[in-house]
Formats: sequence, C-alpha cells, structure tokens
Amino acid sequence: MIVIENVEKRFGETTVLKRINLTIEPGEVVTILGSSGSGKSTLIRCINGLEALSGGSITVDGNDVSTKAGLAAARRRSATVFQLFNLYPHMTALENITLAPINVLKKPRAEAEARARELLKLVGLADLASAYPQRLSGGQRQRVGICRALAMDPNYLLLDEVTSALDPEMTGEVLDILAELARGGTTMLFVTHEVEFARRISSRIVFLEQGELIIDMPTERFFAEDGGFAVPRIRQFLTKMKKD
Amino acid sequence: MLEGFLLTVFACTLAIIGAVIIGALMASLRTSGNRIVRGVAFAYSDVFRNTPFIVQLFFFFYGLPEIGIYIGAFETGVIALSIIGGAFVSDVIRSGILAVDQGVIEAAKVSGLSRWTIFTKIVLPIALRTSVRPMGSVLINMVLTSSILSTITINELTGTAKIVASTTFKPFEVYLVLLVLYASLTYALSLLINTVHRRLNRAMDTGGAA
Repeated sequence: MIVIENVEKRFGETTVLKRINLTIEPGEVVTILGSSGSGKSTLIRCINGLEALSGGSITVDGNDVSTKAGLAAARRRSATVFQLFNLYPHMTALENITLAPINVLKKPRAEAEARARELLKLVGLADLASAYPQRLSGGQRQRVGICRALAMDPNYLLLDEVTSALDPEMTGEVLDILAELARGGTTMLFVTHEVEFARRISSRIVFLEQGELIIDMPTERFFAEDGGFAVPRIRQFLTKMKKD
Repeated sequence: MLEGFLLTVFACTLAIIGAVIIGALMASLRTSGNRIVRGVAFAYSDVFRNTPFIVQLFFFFYGLPEIGIYIGAFETGVIALSIIGGAFVSDVIRSGILAVDQGVIEAAKVSGLSRWTIFTKIVLPIALRTSVRPMGSVLINMVLTSSILSTITINELTGTAKIVASTTFKPFEVYLVLLVLYASLTYALSLLINTVHRRLNRAMDTGGAA
C-alpha cells in the first residue's frame, strides 16, 4: 500500500503540492489527471524519492521514503516509467533491462536475461534485444522502458506521462501494453493526459488542481453526470480534453 | 632519426594512456560530493595547467633528486607528460560527466542502483564516449609538447634531430623533415581518435554527431 499523508512540496516560494492525501491499495489502477503544472509529475517524483518532501509523509508498504533505508526499500517495491524514456544510451535493450536486476536484486545474469527476453517478447520486441536505444522508435523505447521497470518485479508501477512524447500510433502501442498489465492485476499509479484511456483502465481517478487534490473518485463516479462531471472544474477539463 | 621517432611514439603512447587514466580519475574526483576530495582534484589541475611544462619537467628532473627521489630521464619525461595531459583530459571528461542526461541518472537512481554502480556503469562510460573527440586536441598537444623532453637528455625525435642538424650542418633540411614527421604523427593520431570515436559512439546518440 502506498500512503501519502499531508504531503507538501515547495520549490522556493512556489508551493507545488498542498496537503495531498492519497492511498493506493494493491491491485488498484489510480489515474492522476490535471492540467500541466498541477503537480502530477511532482507527486510521482516524491513517491520515488527524486524530490524531497517539504512536509507530510509517504510510505510504500510501510517504508518511509524520507529516510535513507526506507527510500531504498520503497524503491525496491516500486518502479518508474518516464515520459522521456530515460534509457541508458550506451546499453542494448537487454542490458537496459538487466542492469538493475543483476546489480540490485543480485539475480544471476542468465536468469535476469531470460526474464528480460520474456518481457521483451511480451511487449512485442523479442527481435530487438540487442538493439541500442538510438535504433528504436519512441514507442519501442518506451516499451523497453516498461520492460526495465517490470524486470524489478515491482509491487507498484509509477507511470509519469509515459505517452506524452509519442505520436498517436506509438501511444497506442504503449497503452495496449499498459491495459494488458492492468488486466493482469498490476498496481499502477498513472499520470496521464489520455482521459479516455484512463476511463478504460483505472479503478479510481484523482484530480489535481494547482497542487491540490480536489477529487478522488471511482472511475465511474468521476465520469458520471451527477458525480465528477457535476463539478464545474472537472466538466471544463473533460470537455476541453475531448475537443483536443 | 628513426630511433628518435620510435622513442617519441613510445613515450607519447605511454603518456597518453597515463593521461587518460589520470584524467578519468581526476574528473571523477572533481565531480565528487566530498568538498575536500573535490578541492584537491581542482588544485591538481589548476597547478599543472597554470605553470609552464618546461618548468614542471625541470622540477621533476633536477629538483626531485635533491630531496632523494631518483627516477630516470625517460620515466620522468613520461610521468611529467602524463600529469600535465591528465590535468587537461580531466577537464574534458569532467564536462562529459556533467553533460550526462539527468533523466538517465534519475532512472538509475529509482531502480535502486548504488551511487558507485551509477557512476561506474552509467555516468563514466557515457562521459568517456562523449569525451573522445574533444580529448583529441589535448592528446595532439601532448605529442607536440613531448618535443620538450629533449631538454632533459631524452633523445626522442627532437633530440635526435638536434644532434643530426649539428653534425650534418643542414638545419634547414633536418628541421623541415622534423616538422613533417610531427605533422604526420599528429595526423595519424587524429585519425585514430576519429576511429575510436566512431566505434564507441556507433550505437549511441550522444549529441556529438560525427
């Protein structure tokens, strides 16, 4: 379980996150929606320890991310997929996927590689194990990024606008895989602009507005006329996203 | 002059290897989180970059024996050249380290890799690849600077040329040949550097397009 309690994040004078409370139970797919600059990505970066909290606390399966040991344990339980893929450019797809399993989980190389090939096959990239990131399309890179995250056998998958840098076709490739994972019961925290997709796969939707969590609803309620849609800001957001 | 030429090639090869090792080490220390380590590494490169090579060379060759440190002329020359080369190489590699994409480092951090693993398996390998080409001019300068080794009794290329010039009384021809030899040597080195650059960066998009 990921428990986010009263989390505050300030950059200098700017408050990016204001007293955020959110709990993610195993098996849930929670989507975070909100405009650019609403603090969605920052929230993900607080969970995986890339940003230090200004206040409040975050625990991942009971491990407090603000302590060194807690963060190390939390990072073993979660894995992040990034907007810009962030693959290691000097390593092949296979090496990208096996680096952390070998060095962090201390898996034997053969075992790590077998698992990596299995994952690559799952995302349709079995033939590209020895390709370097530069040779891959954006969608392929992101699929390798997803394999790299899954190879750590995470309890939680943190997805930070993973399709924002992709064209619609490639976005489709990546979303199909995520939908598959969601069906398989992977717990996900999903920051996205893909509203329709979020509606399809998430169990819950939260909405951030200028650093405040203003809505936390089951997906159906969120889109219902008398639910989230009844909130003027949400209606405005959803209508606008539909037009784009 | 062939022997002198070979000695120059040999001395430069050793010194370049030494300079790259020292440079990579110093660059790593200069990006360290520890202030003292960083300070020492910065002091090293500042001292050696801001003093004349010939003075450093005399200091090692004539100065050190006075306090009881004896090393041969050739060894002194190679060590001095490695040290000055290392100071400049460390600059190049340090920029390479600082230029590594933060996103890539963040991906490594969140996957739980240790700082040591991140540095040795990701940051340094990427930095070395991007540094090959900018390192080129430093290494070429080392070859040119190696001519100064002739001042401490090493009969490398320039040293033998001097002897030949004074025994044949044909300084024009001798020094012309010398110029051509140095030019070919540095040209060969730049070809080698380009090849290494292409090899290492073939797979990688480092921004430094060939």
